[in-house]
Amino acid sequence: MSTSTLKKALVHTYMTLFTLPIAAMIVWYFLAATMNFTTGQFSLDNFSFFQEPVQYSGVKLPMIWPIVLNTMMYSILIVIIEACISVPTAYAFSRLDFKGRRSAMKFLFLMRSFPGITLIIATFFILVQMNLVNTYLGVLLVAVTGSLPGRVYIMKGFFDEVPWDIEWAAMVDGCTRFGAFKKVLVPYVLPGIGAIAVFSFLGAYGEWFLFKLLIFNDDMLTLAGYLSKLVTKENQIVNYGLITAIGLFYTLPIVVFYIFTQKIFMKVNLGGAKQV
Amino acid sequence: MVGMENAVPQAYKKPFSKKIYPYLFIMPFALLVFVFFILPAIATVVMAFTDLNASLKPKFVGFSNFAKIFSDYNLPQILWNSAIFAVLSLAFSLIFALIIAIATQYFLKGKVSAVIYRVLWLIPSIIPAVVYVTFWKYVFDPTDEGFLNSLMHDFGITTDPVSWFTKGAMGIVILATIVSTISGGMILLSAAINSIPEDLYKAARVDGASEKSVIFKIILPTLKWPLMYITISELIGFVSSYFFIMLLTNGGPMRDTTTLSLYAYQQAFNLKYYGYGAAVSLIVVLISFVLTLFFLRLFDFDQMIKRSRIED
Repeated sequence: MSTSTLKKALVHTYMTLFTLPIAAMIVWYFLAATMNFTTGQFSLDNFSFFQEPVQYSGVKLPMIWPIVLNTMMYSILIVIIEACISVPTAYAFSRLDFKGRRSAMKFLFLMRSFPGITLIIATFFILVQMNLVNTYLGVLLVAVTGSLPGRVYIMKGFFDEVPWDIEWAAMVDGCTRFGAFKKVLVPYVLPGIGAIAVFSFLGAYGEWFLFKLLIFNDDMLTLAGYLSKLVTKENQIVNYGLITAIGLFYTLPIVVFYIFTQKIFMKVNLGGAKQV
Repeated sequence: MVGMENAVPQAYKKPFSKKIYPYLFIMPFALLVFVFFILPAIATVVMAFTDLNASLKPKFVGFSNFAKIFSDYNLPQILWNSAIFAVLSLAFSLIFALIIAIATQYFLKGKVSAVIYRVLWLIPSIIPAVVYVTFWKYVFDPTDEGFLNSLMHDFGITTDPVSWFTKGAMGIVILATIVSTISGGMILLSAAINSIPEDLYKAARVDGASEKSVIFKIILPTLKWPLMYITISELIGFVSSYFFIMLLTNGGPMRDTTTLSLYAYQQAFNLKYYGYGAAVSLIVVLISFVLTLFFLRLFDFDQMIKRSRIED
């Protein structure tokens, strides 16, 4: 058994080596945010952004609390919209026959692997034409369209797994096709809906690019856009304390959220791995 | 009874309401896709043939944008950057995803340490990009404050701070990209390895198979499909997206980390050459399209669409 122990030790050594930088990164975030490096003492000075607006190398940004509210509102809206659109669409793709389904599926696949980001220049002009620049609606529509193909694919995987017998049974018992969808299928794929909700939330919470591009008022930013202003202001960061403090405030909720929902991640990717 | 004999079996015809029923389900999706995907796609093509710029008075200029791209003196460097960035990022993130997936799901299967490793590796992809990049900015900070510089100072290797971003910006960008993309592939591969029945390993062990042949004969063949999937999606991501580059270096110093897609963005939104930017975008799309078609063939996509099993 000594060779097996040796092997385990070897694997552990390599894995620890690989994982060390990430552990170091996590430790650094906490240290940088809560330590005063000149005196080497614990301090919460960096967290003064709770009380006063942030000023950082020439950038003046509004108070953080309205921004937090924006972030929550935006993320929840995205979750609701994406779930409401992707569930019916995935159902139709998975279980209904219609003309053009095969080509629509191919189109969906193409769109999912299509580099949507390359269309951003033209999308910008379409938003200008529709008077949607510098509005949340514009950001919402673009963000939702970008992530929908992926969500539809995940949901389709879940619908594909539902046995046909339970839909037949529901219809034999007098449900209409829509009744079967509403009363039998949707409850059955609830874990999938939960999964795409988590994905949508994480995606919306981290969205900074569209805010940088489409939102010009600082008081309309979300936390990601807020931080991206600070991070990209200069090529090198002057005040790590402030930025890691805001970053920590911004990231901790999502990490906690992730820890509680990570089981869902494994489930989705299992489904995803089997079903395209 | 008499009527029955005369009745000719008629082909079932779907009523109209049932015909449009499926379309109602995909209507919102189709609408969004039309306005914010198909329309921009057409607009990009049209814009690529105009000289749309800050004056907003577009004029049709034919292929001159494309001619301009191919005579652009920046092009060789930008293409080289794109290729290096995509290929190195893909190769390293695939290899590491594979190593970590096999280590945690095969060698350390069911161990607490495996869960710890996996959760830690997921952190870089969970934390938002804007927060993630601050760490790399700190590690490679060009002043004495930076992690590497202060480390080198403490060990007495050099006394002058090294300006990492001017020397190896591309390396830093690739490193940051790899670390955050490994976990996506790792999850998919772990799930696939997890679905291999334990008996297979036992049988192999009884037959006296070495670890090497277990990995090469049992695990890797199972991973064929997920590996292909990860390859295509990550490769296209690397070719077309520039988020980390934008946050880390914004294409600089000079054009050292400018990839083709970032170049398109800069031309359009920084210099307001929208038409030219669209033309560059179109080339990015073309490259991705060729890659997609190539992999679509490998996937054997037609096999995967199932028919509805309720006729109505």
